[in-house]
Amino acid sequence: MAKKKGDEKANPAPQSDNEEQNFEEEPDFDDPEDFVEIPEEELLADILEQKPKESDGYENVVVVDGCPQVGPERLEKLQSVINKIFSKFGKIVNEYYPTTENGLTTGYIFLEYSNPQNAAEAVKATNNCKLDKQHTFLVNLFTDFQKYSDIPKEWEPPAPQPFKVQSDLQWYLMDPDAYDQFLVGIGTGVALQVWQNALPEPLLLQERPNWTETYAVWSPLGTYLATFHWRGVALWAGPKFSQFQKFFHPEARFISFSPCENYMVTFSPSGDRGDDKKWIIGDIRTGQEKRSFPPPDEYVTWPIFRWSKDDRFFARIGADVLSVYETPGFGLLDKKSIKIPGIRDFSWSPSDNTLAYWVAEDKDVPARVTLLEIPNRTEVRSKNLFSVADCKIHWQKSGDYLCVKVDRYSKVKKDKIDIKYSGMYYNFEIFHMREKEIPVDSVEIKEPIQAFAWEPVGSKFSIIHGDPANISISFYQVNTGQAPTLLKKFERKPFNHLFWSPSGQFIVLANLGLTGGALEFLDTNDFTIMNVADHYQMSGIEWDPTGRYVVTGVSSLKCKMDCGYYIWSFQGKILRRVMKEGFAQFHWRPRPPTLLSEKQQKEIKKNLKKYYSQFESKDRMRSSKASKELVAKRTEQMKKFTEYRESKIQEWNEQKPRRLELRDYVDTDGLDTDAVNTVEEVIEFFVKEEQTVIE
Amino acid sequence: MKPLMLQGHQRAITQIKYNREGDLLFSAAKDSKPNVWWSLNGERLGTFNGHGGVIWCLDVDWQSINLITGGGDSSCRLWDLETGKNIATLKSNSSVRTCNFSYSAYQAAYTTDKAMGHPCEVFVIDTRTIDETVSGQAPILKWEITDSKVTSMIWGSLDETIITGHEAGDLIQWDLRTGKKIHSVKEHTHQITDMQLSRDGTMFVTASKDHTAKLFDTNSLELLKEYKTERPVNSAALSPILDHVVLGGGQDAMEVTTTSTRQGKFDARFFHLVFEEEFGRVKGHFGPINSLAFHPDGKSYASGGEDGYVRVHNFDQSYFDYTFDYNRE
Repeated sequence: MAKKKGDEKANPAPQSDNEEQNFEEEPDFDDPEDFVEIPEEELLADILEQKPKESDGYENVVVVDGCPQVGPERLEKLQSVINKIFSKFGKIVNEYYPTTENGLTTGYIFLEYSNPQNAAEAVKATNNCKLDKQHTFLVNLFTDFQKYSDIPKEWEPPAPQPFKVQSDLQWYLMDPDAYDQFLVGIGTGVALQVWQNALPEPLLLQERPNWTETYAVWSPLGTYLATFHWRGVALWAGPKFSQFQKFFHPEARFISFSPCENYMVTFSPSGDRGDDKKWIIGDIRTGQEKRSFPPPDEYVTWPIFRWSKDDRFFARIGADVLSVYETPGFGLLDKKSIKIPGIRDFSWSPSDNTLAYWVAEDKDVPARVTLLEIPNRTEVRSKNLFSVADCKIHWQKSGDYLCVKVDRYSKVKKDKIDIKYSGMYYNFEIFHMREKEIPVDSVEIKEPIQAFAWEPVGSKFSIIHGDPANISISFYQVNTGQAPTLLKKFERKPFNHLFWSPSGQFIVLANLGLTGGALEFLDTNDFTIMNVADHYQMSGIEWDPTGRYVVTGVSSLKCKMDCGYYIWSFQGKILRRVMKEGFAQFHWRPRPPTLLSEKQQKEIKKNLKKYYSQFESKDRMRSSKASKELVAKRTEQMKKFTEYRESKIQEWNEQKPRRLELRDYVDTDGLDTDAVNTVEEVIEFFVKEEQTVIE
Repeated sequence: MKPLMLQGHQRAITQIKYNREGDLLFSAAKDSKPNVWWSLNGERLGTFNGHGGVIWCLDVDWQSINLITGGGDSSCRLWDLETGKNIATLKSNSSVRTCNFSYSAYQAAYTTDKAMGHPCEVFVIDTRTIDETVSGQAPILKWEITDSKVTSMIWGSLDETIITGHEAGDLIQWDLRTGKKIHSVKEHTHQITDMQLSRDGTMFVTASKDHTAKLFDTNSLELLKEYKTERPVNSAALSPILDHVVLGGGQDAMEVTTTSTRQGKFDARFFHLVFEEEFGRVKGHFGPINSLAFHPDGKSYASGGEDGYVRVHNFDQSYFDYTFDYNRE
C-alpha cells in the first residue's frame, strides 16, 4: 500500500530509532497509527477509467422496432434484408431476433456494431425509414431506453432565470440636441470608436481595441452594433455598449438584418469545416438560430435573402424559382416556391409587401418586369420589354416610384462562349406605384450610364451619363399623368457618384477613387451649386441620417496615404478634418423613421423661425464657450512660455561679456547693434531699360 | 508678393543659409557647385567650384569671410567668400554630412557618414588661420559615433558644446572639453533631418521624418513644443522676430514620382511657436522642401526644394497683422 508523500517525510526519525533498538526483531509490518489509506480512484483514476465496465458495448447496440413478424421459415430472408440495410453503417458483430412462444419473431431485433459511432449513424439514418408499406423502422440506441426510463415521473418546473435588467436600447435617440453618433473603425479590427457628433467638437463615447476582428456594422435602425469574431457575431447595445447577444457561427464574414431588426442573416464563406450551415438566420432578441441553409451552388450576390419591409417575408432567388419564406415559422410560403422561368433579379418595395422581378428574354419571349404582391401572389402590374441585355431595379426609398433601368441593344452577336451586344441604349422605366393601375413612363438615354439615384423623399431622380471624358448629370422630375421632365443638365463634370440627402432636396456629386476627390454640393430646388470642394482620393461618402452633415473619407483599405475623414455641413462647409492613420471605416448610426405624423412635421416646419432663434442662441453660447476655453488655454500656454523665455533671456544677457569675447568685442546680438563695423553701401541694380522716342 | 525664383542648380537643393546680415543667401545642391545670391533681388553673385559630387551642407561664418561646405566627394572645403577660391580641403573617409562654424568661428565642426566600412565621426578643427596648412593639420578633437549616424548638427551656446541629431531620432549634447556626452534624449522616432537655432541660440527647432518638428532648450535638451504634420518634415526654421516657426517637407523624394503635387503636400507650413497651431501655408514647390531659412530681419524667408529651385518669399503686411486670440495682460 502506498503512503502519502508527506507521511514519509514526517516519519523517518522514529523508524531509524526502531531499527537500532530492535535490530534482530522482525520488522513491524503493521500500518503505523497515522496511516491513511488512499482510495484507488485517487491513485489510478486514469487507468481505472479504461477498466472494462459491465455496460460497455451497450452503446454499440441498436434496437430496431417495426420489423415484420415472421415465422422461422422466413427468418433467413428477414435477416438478409436487415443485414443488407444495416451493414451499410458498419460491421454487425452480433444480432438477436427474439421470438414469441409460437415461433414468430417479435418484430424488434437487437444489432450490435463494433463501435458506438456506427450505431449512432444507423439510428440517425434509419429511424422512421419505411421498409415497405406496412413497416416503418423505429430505431433507437439501446442506451436510450435506459435514458428515457430514468426520467422522473414528477415534472420539475425549471428554476426561473434571474431577471436581467435590460439597458435602454433607444438611449442614443434621447439626446436633447439630437446629436448623431458615428462609428470609426481603425485598421482591420485594430480598434473601434463611437463618437457623438456634438457641437462644437465631437465627443468620443467609446473606444475599444480589438472590438471586432474585421469590421463592424450598425443594424438598420441603429439599435445594435454588430462585430465579427472567429466564433461568430456579437451584438452590442445600450449606453455602455454592453453585449446584447451573440450568435455562434464560425468564421461568419457577412451579416444582413431584417428591416425591423427582428432577425439577422449571417454568412460564412469558408466551407472546409464539413459544416453545412453556411447561412444562418437568427432571432435577435432570443439569440436563437431560426433556420440555416446549405451553401449556395453557385456565385450569389449578397444579400441573398431579402426581407419585406415588415419582416414578415423573406425571399431568395433560385434557378427559375423565387422562394418566399414567411416568419415566424421560417417555412416556405404556401409550402412551395414560385416558379418563374428565367428570373434574373428581384427587389422588395421599401413600403409595401410587393416585390418587383424581371425575367430575361428567351428566344421569342420578350423580357418582362413584374410586380408581385405577397402573400396572395397577385401580379399587380407587368411590362414586356424587347431587346433587353440587362435590367437594374431601383425602388425609390419612400416606395412611391420604381425605376427599372433597362440596357437595350440594337444588335446582338451570339457565339458559343458568350453573347456580344452592340449599339447599346438605355431606358428608364418609371412605375408610378401610387397611381391607379400603376402607369409606366419611359426615359431614353443613348449614352452609357454611370450612375442612377432616386431622391429618397420627393419625385426627382438623377442620372450620370456619357463617356468618361465627357460626363453629364441630368435631373428629372416625375409627374402625374405625363412623361418625366428634364429639370437640369450639367455638362462636362468629373463626377461618378451621386449621394442624395436622406431627406431629399440636397445632393452631393462626387468623384470617388484614387484619382478623384472633387465634390459639389447642390440644392436641387433651384440647382444652385452651394459649394465646390475637394477631398483628394476619397473612397467613400456618407450622409448622416438627418441630412445635416456629410462625411467624406479616405480609407486605409483603399489608399495608404492621408487616411482620415472630413465632416462637412450639408451646404458644403468644411467643419472638421480628422487625419487618422489606419482609418478604415466610417458609419453614421442610423435612426428609426420619425414617429411624428405628417401634420406634426408640417407644424414644425411652419414654426421653424421660432425654433431657429432658439437654436441660434444655443449655438452661439456653445461656440463662445469653446472660444473662451481656447483663449484661456492659449493664455496659459503663453504665460508659461513667457516665464521660460524671461529666465532664458536673463541668462543670455548675463553671458553677453563672454559672447563679446568670442567675437572680437563686436556686438552681434542684434542686426544693427554693431555700429562700428557697419558701412552703409549703396548698390545699384539694373532694373529695366526703356526707350521712348521723342518726336 | 511674387516670390523670387532662384534658378541656378541643376539638381535638388540640400541646404540654404543666410549670412548674419542677411544680404547674402547661400545654397547647396546635389550638383557639386554651391551658389551665393543677393537675397534682395535674387541675382546670383557667384559659384564655388571645386567639389566633385553632391554637396550636403554648408555654413558661413559670422563675418562673412569664409564658407565651409561638405559633400559626397568625401571632403570638407573652406572657401574665401570674396574671391570664391577654395582655400583648404579636408579629406575624409566618407561623405561629409554636416558642417558648421562655431559662434566665434575660431573653430568649425563636421561629421562624416558611416559608410564604406568607416564609422561615423565628428571632427572639430581650428580655423584661426585658414590657408593650405589647415588641410594638413590634425583635428583638435575627433570622436567616433558608434550608434546611429549623425544627420544634423549645431553648436551649443558659447562654443562649449555640440548637439548632434541622429538617424534613429536621438539628440546628443557633447562636451567639447572632454568629448563626452552630457545629455541624450530621444523625442523623435525617425531621422532628424534638420536643426536650427533661435536668434539668441537658447532654443533650437528640429525637423524629423517622423512627421513632426520639435522645439528644444539648447542647454538642457528639454522638449518645449511639438508641431505635427502628416508628412516627413525636412526642415524647420524659427522666425527671428515673431513667435512663428515654418516647416517644410513633404512626401519622401523617392516616392514623389508616383504621386501628384496635390498628394505630396509640398507646402511650407507656418505654426505658432507657443500654441502649436498651424495658421498658414505657402504653396509653390513641386517637390518636397529640403531646406528652409528665415531672413535675419524676419521679413522674408527662403525655401529650397527637391525640384532644384530656391524660392525667396517676402511676407505681406497681412502676415504681420495676423494675431492669435489670447489675453495679453
